[in-house]
Amino acid sequence: MWNRRKNLLLSSLSLLRHISSSPHLPRLHPLKPSHLLCPSNSFLPPIDSQLRNNLLDLPRCGFPRNLSSSNSCSSCWNCGAVGPTSGAFLACGSCGAVQPVDASVDYFQIFGMKKMYEIEEGDLEGIYKDWQKKLHPDLVHSKSEKEKGFAAEQSARVIDAYRTLKNPLSRALYLLKLEQIHVDEEKTVSDPDLLMEMLEMREAVEEAKDTQSLKEIQSKVKKKLDSWSNSFKEAFNKQDFDSAVNCTQRMKYYERALEEITKKL
Amino acid sequence: MLRLVGKRLVPQTQVQTLGTPTLRLRRRYHERVVDHYNNPRNVGSFDKEDPTVGTGLVGAPACGDVMKLQIKVDQHSGKIVDACFKTFGCGSAIASSSVATEWVKGKHMEEVLSIKNTEIAKHLSLPPVKLHCSMLAEDAIKAAVKDYESKKAKNGSSDASSPKVAEA
Repeated sequence: MWNRRKNLLLSSLSLLRHISSSPHLPRLHPLKPSHLLCPSNSFLPPIDSQLRNNLLDLPRCGFPRNLSSSNSCSSCWNCGAVGPTSGAFLACGSCGAVQPVDASVDYFQIFGMKKMYEIEEGDLEGIYKDWQKKLHPDLVHSKSEKEKGFAAEQSARVIDAYRTLKNPLSRALYLLKLEQIHVDEEKTVSDPDLLMEMLEMREAVEEAKDTQSLKEIQSKVKKKLDSWSNSFKEAFNKQDFDSAVNCTQRMKYYERALEEITKKL
Repeated sequence: MLRLVGKRLVPQTQVQTLGTPTLRLRRRYHERVVDHYNNPRNVGSFDKEDPTVGTGLVGAPACGDVMKLQIKVDQHSGKIVDACFKTFGCGSAIASSSVATEWVKGKHMEEVLSIKNTEIAKHLSLPPVKLHCSMLAEDAIKAAVKDYESKKAKNGSSDASSPKVAEA
C-alpha cells in the first residue's frame, strides 16, 4: 500500500519532469501534479486534504535525489523535495528546512505578488508574518549551524523585502532598479521651481508654531505625494522611465518633509 | 508591533573586544561638522531681488536635501562682501554650506569658482558616503555666482537701453 503510493508519486514526478521541458504544461487529473510537484509558493499548496496528508506521510528523504535536480525547480538540501518552478523557495514545503538565499528571487516573488507598483499593501504584513514563522533564526536554534546561517540570511532578506515593498517610494525605486534603470545619486538638481517649492515647504514646517498648522501642512504634502505617486505609476506603466525617475525625486522631497513634520509633532 | 521582527545589526556601531576592556568604535561626525551644526555661521537670507545679491539654489534628490547659498557682491571691486545660507539636510550638508559661506567672504568671484568640494570635504573630514554634500556646496557657490552674473548682465542691458528711452 505504502510502496504503491510512493511509486505513483515517483512516476508522476518523472512524467512531469518530462512535460515541464515542453512549453505548455497540460493539466493532469486527478492528482493535480502541477500543484503537487511545484506549488506556486512553498506554503502548503491548495490541494485536497487527503492528498496533502499522503504527502506528509511520506518519510523524509523519501524521494531519490536524482529526481529532484530538474532544470526549473530547485530542490531541498535536506530531503530532496522539489521546490516551486517560479517564486520563492525559502523553506521546504515538505520538511520545513530553511533554504539558502537565492539572490535571483526578487522581493515581489517572495511575497507572491506581480512585479508592479500597485500592490495589496494590506496583504504584505500577513505574508511577512507567515514567512517569519518559518524562517526566523529564533525558531531554528536547535538546528544545524548551516541551517541557522540560512535562517539568518533568509529572515533578513524577507525583512528587507517587506520594508522595501511597504513604502511606496522604496517600492518605486526598487522597480526602477529591477528594470536596470540607474539613477545617478550624486547628481545635483537645479530646477528652480522644484527647489523653491521644497525650500518654502521646509521653511513652513520649521516655522509652524502649533500642531494644527503642522497637520495642515502634513495633509497638503501627503496629497502631493499621492499625486506624484500616481504620476509615477502612469509613467512606469508607459515605460517612460525619465518621467518615472523625476517622480521619485519629487516623492523623496515630500517624504523628507513628512519625516520632519512627524519629528515635530 | 510584530513579535517576530528580526534584529538587524546597526552598521554604525561596532563592538570590539580587546582582552578584558570592551572598546566601542562608533562612527562619529568630525568635531568641525558638529561645531558648524551647533554654531552655524551665516544662516539667513538676503533679498533675492537685490541686484548685488546672487542666489544659488541646489538640491540633492537622492537624499531630499535643499541648499540655498547667497552672496552679496561689491559691484565695483567684484569682491564678495557677505554670504549667507539656508540648508535643509543632514549635518554634513549644513556644515558644508556653512564652511562655503565662510570661505567665499572677502574673495573675488573668479576665486570662489575654484573652491573644490574635495577641499571642503577634507576640512570637515567627511566620510566617502557624505562627499556629495560637499559637492552640493560647491555647486551652490557656482550657482550663486552664475545668478549674480546673469542679473548683472540683465541690469547692464536694461541700463544701456534706458538712456535711449530717456532720450526718446
